[in-house]
Amino acid sequence: MSSQPGREVREVLEVLDGGLQATIQDGGRRGHEAEGVPRSGAADAVGLAVANLLLGNRPDAAALEATIIGLRVRAVVPVDVALGGADLGAIVEPDTPVRPGTSIRLAAGHVLAVSGRPDGDGPACRAYLAVPGGFDVPVVLGSRSTCLPAGFGGLEGRALRAGDRLRAAGGAAGLRTAPRRLGSQAAANLPSAAQRLRVLPGPASGEGDPAFAGLVSRPWVVAAASDRRGLRLEPADPGAGGHGPSLAPLAAGELPSLGVLPGAIQVTPSGQPLVLMPDSGTTGGYPVVAVVIQADLPLLGQLDPGAEVRFRATTADDARAAAIERRALIASIGSGLS
Amino acid sequence: MRDGPADRGGPRAAWPPVVRPFGDAALLIEVEGESALQRAARVHGIADWIADVCSARDGWGRPVPGAETVLVPFDPVEPGLVAAAARIRDVLETMSPGEVEQLWPDQPRIVEVPVRYGGEAGPDLDGVAASLGLPADDVVLLHASRIYRVLFIGFMAGFAYCGTLAAELALPRRASPRTRVDAGSIVIAGRMTSVMPVDAPSGWHVIGHTSLSVWDPRRDPPGRLRPGDAVRFVPEA
Repeated sequence: MSSQPGREVREVLEVLDGGLQATIQDGGRRGHEAEGVPRSGAADAVGLAVANLLLGNRPDAAALEATIIGLRVRAVVPVDVALGGADLGAIVEPDTPVRPGTSIRLAAGHVLAVSGRPDGDGPACRAYLAVPGGFDVPVVLGSRSTCLPAGFGGLEGRALRAGDRLRAAGGAAGLRTAPRRLGSQAAANLPSAAQRLRVLPGPASGEGDPAFAGLVSRPWVVAAASDRRGLRLEPADPGAGGHGPSLAPLAAGELPSLGVLPGAIQVTPSGQPLVLMPDSGTTGGYPVVAVVIQADLPLLGQLDPGAEVRFRATTADDARAAAIERRALIASIGSGLS
Repeated sequence: MRDGPADRGGPRAAWPPVVRPFGDAALLIEVEGESALQRAARVHGIADWIADVCSARDGWGRPVPGAETVLVPFDPVEPGLVAAAARIRDVLETMSPGEVEQLWPDQPRIVEVPVRYGGEAGPDLDGVAASLGLPADDVVLLHASRIYRVLFIGFMAGFAYCGTLAAELALPRRASPRTRVDAGSIVIAGRMTSVMPVDAPSGWHVIGHTSLSVWDPRRDPPGRLRPGDAVRFVPEA
């Protein structure tokens, strides 16, 4: 159903281990939020675009999103694959490193493994593995993305596990003559999670609001209980509670449920910020004190538990300029391949 | 009981609704009204109206109704926040509460939901009855004797907020949410009731179970319950 003319859908990879969590994700599902359906899609859309563009796919084609560690896949036929997103220490076993921003030909039987990110790097959570034409899974409600909370989309609505066999829409016809690499200039412009995430005040707060000020005035750490639905944040320095305004004044309990989107930062009744991710519920009852701008959502997708995160207030004009820049970056990746 | 927005054409002081930015890619419209039903009618009327005049081609996403709000997503570059806010305020100026409420179905589709109450099907029924100081039979009677309207869909795929529950049945959510509630479970919390669309964690009280499937992504539309529908829970013998 999804194959392009002249291309052949073909089984290309077998999953040996899904690792911490691996799912099929594309650019996400739009227009069904009013039915309670989250957008899903790649948590780092830039990483997704890099992997896809290296193989000549659409930037939002369906790829495999691997999380932190443990993914192993075996090529069942010779196939080109490309990596984008975080450097999670991917290798072709036994020991050939594959950096994000490169494509490589896997021979039949070769195993690509995600062995965990090299020490000392910044936050890094998700890597994207693309195959020619994108992964061939059914389009459900307009997208191939896996919706884990409701159990549909992607491969049978679930995370990948050992024994799963994955088809590429481009099949063997997608094979290229030479591996490709992201140009150094495009690579240098990729978002880095060390940046501060830019936020605008949410509907429950204003620029001078104490809860908004409290959010941007201090560093936070991503708590362990975080996933594709949301990131829970804790103060990076819990002993320094007196250094910034508490978020508690806004924690007036629950509001009548309102529509929410990824990037919204809610405050729970205990005063804990909760940053919504692609699989979050479509409505929520906690006050939204700030919203991460669209251009910085890919950075959110790379924050792993333990990562430090800082926010910075921005303006509507700067947010729009950043969104334009982000789009230009993706366009330049497509044209800057070597 | 008459569940149409009987107070149609009611107070107009809170019109047009307030529009607030929600980041750089959405606006939140705050809708006032005399009752939950009137607010729902206005919310859905506004959402439908905006969906009609603000097209995907021009960078608009489909509006997302909440209990008292409409979230309107848009492309952060075109139209972008500043132009989007101006456009939505203009569109709201052209609407009147009466016209908006007319988009809410006066003669709704009626969906009957067969329910096994209590026992294994409704493990919280006895606890709910004890908390409320009512016999379990009365809880069932109060729940099943009312016709609800689907006010909006949210939280999770296909989860229909049905209101409003009899005041005698209003309870806060469970102190500790269940990590898994089965699809088809009939749940209550506050002044709302719903049917669990899929297996999921929930803090709502489980008082029964239905064999009716309310969510199937292979169907179009995937949800059985849609905003405005009238819902009746029918106890199974």
